[in-house]
Amino acid sequence: MRKVAGGKRGERAATALVELCSVRVGNTLYGVPIAHILEIVGSSRPHPVPLAPAYVGGLVHYRGDVLTTVSLRQLLGSEPKAGAQAILVLESAAQSCFGLLVDSVSEVLTVSSADYEPNPSTLDERRRSLFAGAYKLKEGLLVMLDPERLDPMRLSAQSAA
Amino acid sequence: MDELTREFLIESQEGLDRMERCMTELEERPKDTALLSEIFRSVHTIKGTTGFLGFKRLEKLAHAGENLLGLLREGKLEAAPPVITVLLELLDGLRAILKAIESEGGEGEGEDASLIGRLEALQAPAQLVTKQPAQEKAPKTQTSNARRKGAPGKKQAPPASEAAVAAVPEEAQAKAQPKQAKVQQAPPAPQQSSAPAAAEKKEVAAAAVATGEEESQKAHPPVSTAAESTLRVDVTLLNRMMNLVGELVLTRNQILQATASDPGMTQLSRRLDMVTADLRESVMKARMQPVSNIFSKMPRMLRDLCQVLNRRVRLLIEGQETELDKSLLEAIKDPLTHAVRNSLDHGIEPPEARVAAGKDPEGTLKLRASHEGSHVVVEVQDDGAGIQVEKVRRKAIERGLITADRAAWMSERELLQFLFVPGFSTASAVTNVSGRGVGMDVVRTNVERIGGKVEIDSKPGQGTTLRMRIPLTLAIIPALIVRSLDQSFAVPQGSLSEFVHIPPEQADKAIEWMEGAPLYRLRGRLLPLVFLEGLLKPGADCSVVQQRDNFIAVLDTEGRSFGLVVDGLADPEEIVVKPLSAVLKDIGIYSGATVLGNGELALILDPGSIAVKAGIRLSSEEERADADDDVEQEQASRVEYLLVEAAGRPAAVPLADVLRIEQVPLGRIEYIGFRPVLNFEGQLLPIEDAGGVLNPPGSAVESGERQIIVVVCREGSRQVGITVSHVLDVAAGSDLFEAGTCQQAGGVTLLKERVTGVVNLGGVPPLEVPQPDCGDWSLKVEAAG
Repeated sequence: MRKVAGGKRGERAATALVELCSVRVGNTLYGVPIAHILEIVGSSRPHPVPLAPAYVGGLVHYRGDVLTTVSLRQLLGSEPKAGAQAILVLESAAQSCFGLLVDSVSEVLTVSSADYEPNPSTLDERRRSLFAGAYKLKEGLLVMLDPERLDPMRLSAQSAA
Repeated sequence: MDELTREFLIESQEGLDRMERCMTELEERPKDTALLSEIFRSVHTIKGTTGFLGFKRLEKLAHAGENLLGLLREGKLEAAPPVITVLLELLDGLRAILKAIESEGGEGEGEDASLIGRLEALQAPAQLVTKQPAQEKAPKTQTSNARRKGAPGKKQAPPASEAAVAAVPEEAQAKAQPKQAKVQQAPPAPQQSSAPAAAEKKEVAAAAVATGEEESQKAHPPVSTAAESTLRVDVTLLNRMMNLVGELVLTRNQILQATASDPGMTQLSRRLDMVTADLRESVMKARMQPVSNIFSKMPRMLRDLCQVLNRRVRLLIEGQETELDKSLLEAIKDPLTHAVRNSLDHGIEPPEARVAAGKDPEGTLKLRASHEGSHVVVEVQDDGAGIQVEKVRRKAIERGLITADRAAWMSERELLQFLFVPGFSTASAVTNVSGRGVGMDVVRTNVERIGGKVEIDSKPGQGTTLRMRIPLTLAIIPALIVRSLDQSFAVPQGSLSEFVHIPPEQADKAIEWMEGAPLYRLRGRLLPLVFLEGLLKPGADCSVVQQRDNFIAVLDTEGRSFGLVVDGLADPEEIVVKPLSAVLKDIGIYSGATVLGNGELALILDPGSIAVKAGIRLSSEEERADADDDVEQEQASRVEYLLVEAAGRPAAVPLADVLRIEQVPLGRIEYIGFRPVLNFEGQLLPIEDAGGVLNPPGSAVESGERQIIVVVCREGSRQVGITVSHVLDVAAGSDLFEAGTCQQAGGVTLLKERVTGVVNLGGVPPLEVPQPDCGDWSLKVEAAG
């Protein structure tokens, strides 16, 4: 209870700062909250899985576990990128981990919640379900990603529905 | 919950488990004082400790039970069935309270007055054995009996009840209140274990306990030798250790491959290899528990079920010392329970029906556990009515699972598989024991989840056998690595029966097509083929078999056999199974992933699901039986030999004695005098060189680089090495008889239509016993001093 109240106060104060790791896929800049990132694997070639859903980027070996990766590029319907890609190892709810394949990882940004805007209604439904709004930066828009929504479990449930 | 309470809970649970075991035995041998003492001790320990911890409700109930048990133990009361029923209720009552303490931290609100009342009612004088009316209220007279402490053995007890009293070893009984005597001399019975810590550990612990320790009057648990030699370890910690060992195995595999070219590192990595293997084995051992842990729950369940269902059943248990990984043991608990329930409800008929069918009114239920290769087989066998295949067929059509004409040609074996379909039940009425059609589904799901298999065999009128094949361990399995689509895939060796290589020039002819269905003639039978590439890349055209090496992995899984065609074959490896995310598991053909020795990831194929996906039918039972018979007949009369060639001559080594075949550089063979020996994994292996492979005639002094082949064999309790130039084949040999006699010729066998000499392993002289060395040692010591 206290936490929720605190969050509301923070919004009203309008100066809550959020730390995001910015990643790039194609021409778009995306942001992932750093609290969810376990590790950033610079460049790696995930092991392909035949017959897997299109958004699965393959498998990677991470600290004794085999993680399923989600390719952001393929998730958005683009062609897979040739060559090595960067992987963010993300932790979503219930301790489940997965990898997120992106083209490249850039610096950690600190953004202010005052610059936040929810998803525009004109965005197509698929993207609206994946993105968690955007931050208005000086250089352009930074699209927020929510690890919960990218969890392969959730994605498979959605595609099944 | 504080440490003390938790400890108490675990100990009490173990005590009650022991009590349960004893209770069913007690029904058969109501006069067994050792059993009674054991039960008494369990309840007594709980009572003592609860008082100390302040659990009043528990104490009251345990106290009432203890009083009754005291009378039983003193022989004043006979352990008749109604008494045992109430004692079992007491057990359940105690369990329920312990459970409440565990989950809520308190004893709960329940009322035990009626149970306590029943416990007390049984102690009423009318119930007591009438022959000793004086003893009931007169503790003094009892001491005279108790003084005979020279009679602790239970075997001497004559049947009369007063003699049973005499045999009760009590010396501390001379107290004012005999029913609450707290100091007991434990009789030296083998199955007792006064240390609660022992139950979890193995027999080692149990055997070490029989020290006859006195349970102290204080509430502290008794200390015994078992407590010193065993340790309670959290299962999650063991799981973590297992994972780490798995990682170590992977790293070792990688190191072994990376260092293959560097001789110095090879030595080191070999050591690492050995240490890893040992470590893995010990961690796995630490997780092993005998199946008796779950089998022992069955007698009680059986007893209850028999009463509910009006059955008479004798339980036979075999192989309960067979050990299985803890987590696997947990996983088969439910399936086993369901299987036993099913057997009783649907299998074994009521006594009247059995008599009418000309059978013994008492049915037999057999639980059997045994090792079979890398699996443990757990069987539940009953001699009941069996399954009416026609009923299954009708029901399957009724439920729309198959069409009527398909059902008409389905084999019995296939039809029986329908029993595993959720909600499928042939029972005409649902009872409160079973019949809802859930049981078999649970059995299969649980067993398959741990990589096991379930089979069911049934002969109408004769009984049903449910067989569960459980892998010994979950985490590490041997697998063969195959290649397709430029990727590696692992095929678990458990389902692989053989491998066929088709060279490029034979590719068109060897694989035959029947209207688009690829087939291969395997020893006269048509084997359906599945192209792995075609399976993984829907739309790929496989109808033109490529002119290259093709490999057919012949897989046999859950009664379906088929050939999986792959592009290439790599080494077999021990792989560590890593779970896949649900998304990828749902694809249905992978059971996990693993990291190979070269660091590459590989997906583990699930042969069972591939067979189902490709529509492979179950092979009919007759075919399988035929095949099995053939093999069995062959094996009965023949011994398999390893056919080798040593210096140009063929020779045979009994295959059963061959441990492994090693290729070593000649330089590693060393000599003790004239005897060649090999320092093999730190042990000295005498080498038999009858064929003269080490020093071929006419060769000059050689460099130590030449590779020679050593067949390491078992001979009695020792091992010997045989040098050979080539290993040719494995074949079954036939006995030869000397012409004109009926005597079997020794030392030779007919292998591949040729008379071949059998290497006489027993003839290899042992290495000298190192007695003279002692003298040398002492000399050296002196010289050093």
